[in-house]
Parts: sequence; C-alpha cells; structure tokens
Amino acid sequence: MAALGAWRLLRPGRRWFSETVPGAPSPPGSPLYPPVVASITAKSKAAKSRRLQRFNQRVHAAATVEEKLRLYGKLQRPKYTVYPQTFALNADRWYRSFTKTVLVPGMPPRGAARKPEVAAAGAAVETGRAAESGAEAPAAAGAPAAAEAPGDAVSPGAAAGAVPSVDIGELRSLTCDALLQESFYQNKKRPFLYRDQDHTPGPFLTQLVSTLAASLSGRNPLLAASSLDLSPEVNYYWHHGEEVVVHGHRKGRVDPVRFQIDDNPHLQIRVPKQLPEVVPLESDLGDVPVIDHKPSKLPLFKKQYENKVFIGSKVADPCCYGHTQFHLLPDKLKRERFIRDRLEDQIEVVYRSNGIASLFAWTAAQAMYQGFWSEADVTRPFVSQAVVTDGKYFAFFCYQLNTLALSAETIKNNPRKNICWGTDSKPLYDVVEDGNVKGFNDEVLLQLVQFLLNRPKEL
Amino acid sequence: VFPGVRQAQWLTKTKLVEGLPPAVQGIVDNSALGLQELEERVKHVVSHARLWDTAEVAPRREKYCPVLFENLIHICRLMSGKYPSLSKRMLARNCKIAATWERESILLQVRGLSGILMNSVTPIPPVASKEEILATKEHVLETFYPIAPTIDLQEVNVYKELNDTGQCFRDGYPYPHPHTLFFLESANVRTDRFRPEQLRAKMLMFAFGNALAKAKALHGNDPKVLEQPIVVQSIGTDGQLFQFMVFQLNTTDLVSNDGVKNLVWIDSDQNLYERAQCVPEVKKGVVMKPAGISGFQPDTFKKFLALYLHGTV
Repeated sequence: MAALGAWRLLRPGRRWFSETVPGAPSPPGSPLYPPVVASITAKSKAAKSRRLQRFNQRVHAAATVEEKLRLYGKLQRPKYTVYPQTFALNADRWYRSFTKTVLVPGMPPRGAARKPEVAAAGAAVETGRAAESGAEAPAAAGAPAAAEAPGDAVSPGAAAGAVPSVDIGELRSLTCDALLQESFYQNKKRPFLYRDQDHTPGPFLTQLVSTLAASLSGRNPLLAASSLDLSPEVNYYWHHGEEVVVHGHRKGRVDPVRFQIDDNPHLQIRVPKQLPEVVPLESDLGDVPVIDHKPSKLPLFKKQYENKVFIGSKVADPCCYGHTQFHLLPDKLKRERFIRDRLEDQIEVVYRSNGIASLFAWTAAQAMYQGFWSEADVTRPFVSQAVVTDGKYFAFFCYQLNTLALSAETIKNNPRKNICWGTDSKPLYDVVEDGNVKGFNDEVLLQLVQFLLNRPKEL
Repeated sequence: VFPGVRQAQWLTKTKLVEGLPPAVQGIVDNSALGLQELEERVKHVVSHARLWDTAEVAPRREKYCPVLFENLIHICRLMSGKYPSLSKRMLARNCKIAATWERESILLQVRGLSGILMNSVTPIPPVASKEEILATKEHVLETFYPIAPTIDLQEVNVYKELNDTGQCFRDGYPYPHPHTLFFLESANVRTDRFRPEQLRAKMLMFAFGNALAKAKALHGNDPKVLEQPIVVQSIGTDGQLFQFMVFQLNTTDLVSNDGVKNLVWIDSDQNLYERAQCVPEVKKGVVMKPAGISGFQPDTFKKFLALYLHGTV
C-alpha cells in the first residue's frame, strides 16, 4: 500500500517535474481573487470611508431627482438650525463662513445691452410702449448705452435707469396707491400686539409686487410666464466642516457639521428659465471670513428633524428656477429696537444675514433640483435676487451660487466661492400724511424695477 | 332649510336669470384674447396649487384654495401687459361691509367681512338694456307663504344704521367702484364650508350690500329707481367648483313689492377640473388612476377671466 501510494505520488510528481520549463506566466483573463478592500461594518477609518463611498455611489446612481433628494437627506442627526432673520450679533460674518460666500457691496454692473434710459414724458411713452413691446430695439439702446457703460460700470444703486420707455411716473403712482390703500384709505382694526408688520407693511408689499409684476410683464416675457408664491417654504440642508461628537453613545467620532435653513419669504417669484450669470464661474472677488469658534457660539442650536430640500414647490413644477424673493422683517428686528439698545451697526447686519442665508438656501435648493449636490458640483452658476424690507427701508441682494461642495472632503480642493452683492437699506418714502406720500425716493423704485426686469439674454 | 337663492331674491327684490349676461359671454367667445395659450398655463397653475405647493404629500384645502385663487388672479393680472387699463384695479382684503334697507316694513342689514374685494377706477357699464329693466316690472317676486321670508335670519337690535362702503374706505380713495367680490370656501372640514346653494345666496347678499352702499353714497338715501344702474360681480369657489354671478342694482326702492326689480345673472357649479390625484391609485399592481389633474375644463377659467376683464375690454 505504501509502495502504491509512493507510485501514485511519483507519477504525478514526474509529470510535474517534466513541466519545469517556465512558460510566460499567462496573464489571467480575470482577477483570481476579488479586490482587497476595507470592510464595510468595521469600526475603522477605512471602513468609514468605504461606507461613505458606497453612499455617494448610491446617490450618484439614483434614477430621479426625488430619489436623490430622498437619499441625500435620509440619515437624520442633530443639526444646527440657521435662521435667516436673526438678532445675533455679526451674524452675517458667521453665515458667510458657513456658506463660503463673498460679500461685495453695491449692485453688480449689468451688461451693456441692458442699459436703459428713463422716459421723460408720459404721453410719448404710451404709444412707444405699445410699439416696442415685442422686439425691443437693443440696437437703439445699445448705442447710447455703450457710451454710458464705461462711466456706469461700477455704479451701485440704480442711477442707470430703467428699460427703454418704462414710465416711472406711472409706476410711482401705482406704488403710492398701494401704500396709501394699506396705510390710509382702508379702514382696518388696530394691529394685533407685536404684529405691526402684518397690519400694513405686509399687505403693502404683496400689493406692490403683484401690481408692479403685472404692469412690467409686458416688458419682461419671463415675468409673463412666472409663478408668484405667497408665504412659500424654502428649505435646504448641507454639511460644512467637521467636529468631534461630544457626548452620547457616538462620543469621540468625527462627524460633519450639519446645517438646515427653514425660511418663509413673504413673496417669491419663480420662473421657468434661469437668470444669466453675473460673473464667470471661477471668479474670485474677495475673501471668505474664517471663524475659529464652534457655530454654537453664534448662538446656534442643534435639533434633529426631517432634512428638507425645497424651493417652494415640488420637482415636477416647470417653474423650477428662482427670480426674486421678498422678505419682510418681523417686529422683533425693527430698527427702533436696535437704536434703543445702542446697536446701530447691527441694523445692516440683519438685512445682510437675511439676504445671504435665504438666497443661499434658495439657489442651492434650485441646484439640487437640477441634480447637483456636494459630490457633483454645479456646472453653471445659479443666480437669484432678493429684496429685504421692513416696510419702509429696502435692501437689495443678488446671489450667485458657484459651488455646492462645502463638506469637509470636497472643500479641500475647491477654489470656487459663492458671491453675494448687497446694498445698504434705503427708505422708499419719508412719511405718509393725510393721503400723501412725502419724500418718495425714485432710486429705490428704479432698483426694484430693474430687479423685476432681469431676464436671460435671449429673451 | 330653504334653497338660499330664492330667499335672497325676495330679500333683495331681484329677478334671476340663468347663465352669464351677453356682454360677459361676448368676452368669453372673443378669440382675440388668446385664451387658448392660457390653457396650458392654467393647467400648470392648478397642478401647482393642488399637487406641488407643499413639501408634504398633498396640500389641504385651507392651503390650496387660496393658492389656486392667487394663481388665477396672477394670470389674469398678467393680461395687463396687453390691456394697460387693467392696472387701474386694486385688490383689498378683509373688507368690512355694512348696508341696511327696508323690505315691506322689515329692516334688513348685511354686515360682515366680505372676503376679497377688487375695486376699480371706472364703474362697470350696465349689463341689461333699459327694456329689460322695465320688463322686470311685470315679474312677480316669489313668496314663500306661509313661511316668513326672514326665516333663518338673525334678529338684532340695531342702534346705529351703518350704510356705506365708505366704512371700508375713506373718501378720496382712487379706486371707488367695487368691481368683483371673491369668496373662498377654504375650511378643511366639509360641514364648515358653505354648500353651493348657500354660497350663491351669500354672494348675492354681499354683492347687493356693496351695490346698495355705493348707490347710497352716490345718489343719497332716498329710495328711487337708478338712472345709472350699478353692477357688481361676484365669484365664489371651494377650490374646485366655481359660482359666477353678475348683479345689477336698478332700484333702491325696496319697500314695496312691485315696480322695477334688480337683476342677477348666475352661472352655477362650474367645475375647473374633475379630480386632482397626488399619489397614483394602484390596485393589485395596476395603476387605476394616474397622478395629476384629470377632467380639466378650460371654459371655467375663460369665464373667470371674462368677469375679470369685464368693464375694460
């Protein structure tokens, strides 16, 4: 038996020894072993990064935008709620650091073709408007505009004027009518306690925007296809930076810092076509403030609830791009309170923080509705505008979203920054007395009209 | 208890005509307005109000009824790009209306928050010709013997007879003429909403109240037959069903039962769409009702727009 076993061993052994000519090692058609990767469930950094990659692949591979949004916000953890309208001191610096935004004072210079002239007489304007409503004559406007352009290139405010043949007198009378109706002519009950803003400035803003948008829709075909929302909801959820979990069963782990904005603008206009970019995608117009403290020092508080991303209506709506938002500051943040507490410099901070936070949330949510997210950064800038007011003082903001990649891994090699242009708050009128509006400021109205007339170049 | 419109007719001394008046019907049929292109937009707007407006699955009636109304008014207002005189209108919310009159020795009063009122600079021209107005003399008002016509009305001691829409607006208001009243039945619970018949009666009473107050402001308190009849329109909806009404006040002489009567044209129960499905209804793997708006009727919006444009086109 042993000999038989030895024979058996020898024979195959001989055959084995006869094959000692080493041929070229034939390249395996497929790998012999599966790739060696980190485990999925282990408590190690490699496993964590592998889990993250699997999650990113799942989101990339999602079939519809709704599915992507659902997966993006599926995991609920405590997150900071960022309030756009806040009394926190120097909140706009903190918000700029959370959203990687550069603040540029003044309004962005508009393109040369847009430069308008203010019409002088009303009568000539009426006939002119009817003739020009179809094909506006950019050639006619371009020649005088080109002469003006070098001079007005960096003009803040609205000194340039409105589109050819806008009757500023008629718009002024519409504005005054809306203001007088809400504050003087209509008999209303006394305002509810601490709800002064709902009594007069709120209805005034609604009336003003709806009548101005209607009368300017002849000049701006984008407005004619727009959708006006009253008190819509705008939400956005994102990660920025990293922190170590302080207490609880997850203590010691490194987590991204999560933020959520839940905003309720007073009014917003949504359009089916995107507004044109103001500056190219990779422009660098300033610095983003870096703040070394934890966000809870602002003060900002954590809560865990649904991670919503919403622009005001669902993904199926054809009007999926934003045009202009209108925000009304509540009674808690009125100017007299700040003056009484000797915090006059914080008045502008309130307007700026509202503009930056609301517009970032809106533009970022619009970008997510188009399928972009922090791992798939935007390929074109998203532009929206906002007007923040307390009924008398108006501040104008224009925001360009260049990047959504704000989470800790994606921000490392990302040179892009978001840009926000903003003005200081200016009064629209001085006082309303006896059925008359005193001290009406045309500049503010012109800036508002310019905002409403903003549209893509091909229209 | 009672079909409300018949009672309201007796109380306001009004003759009822079914359907919209020829002037408004003419605007509906006028194809130069480009109402066909608006169909697509109205469908979007209905979908927005009923399906897309909320981050939850389906919006509730308290949300979608006002949103639908605002969206329809927004589309109507955008027509002022074509008709610049449309910008001479102003919407006023939460208007209080008060009007008193006597009917066969019973003192009646209409008071309350009358919904949303649209005012305009110029009044609506009368819809019925002089012959039609005179013809109403022969019309006999329906009485409800033995039921008193004031059944189901609240009896109240009135110490001060208040009588003007000037209660709502001060003198010198640049938009003095009431144009259209809008009523939104947006309560979530069905029993809190007015049924269509009661809604029509409410619309009639408030339109009459507004017209009467305007007449008394223009021509004084004496009861008489008006040289220039006053026309006030009214639209009521619960988010799906629309009621259209045009009321013409011909006389303020309401004490007696004969003589010239007022006129009202009512177009009732117009559906804008059949159903709005937020989530597709699936039974045993087969989609029975797909998601979206079904049974859309563009005519209802055409009538809405025609009533809005009436007076300027």
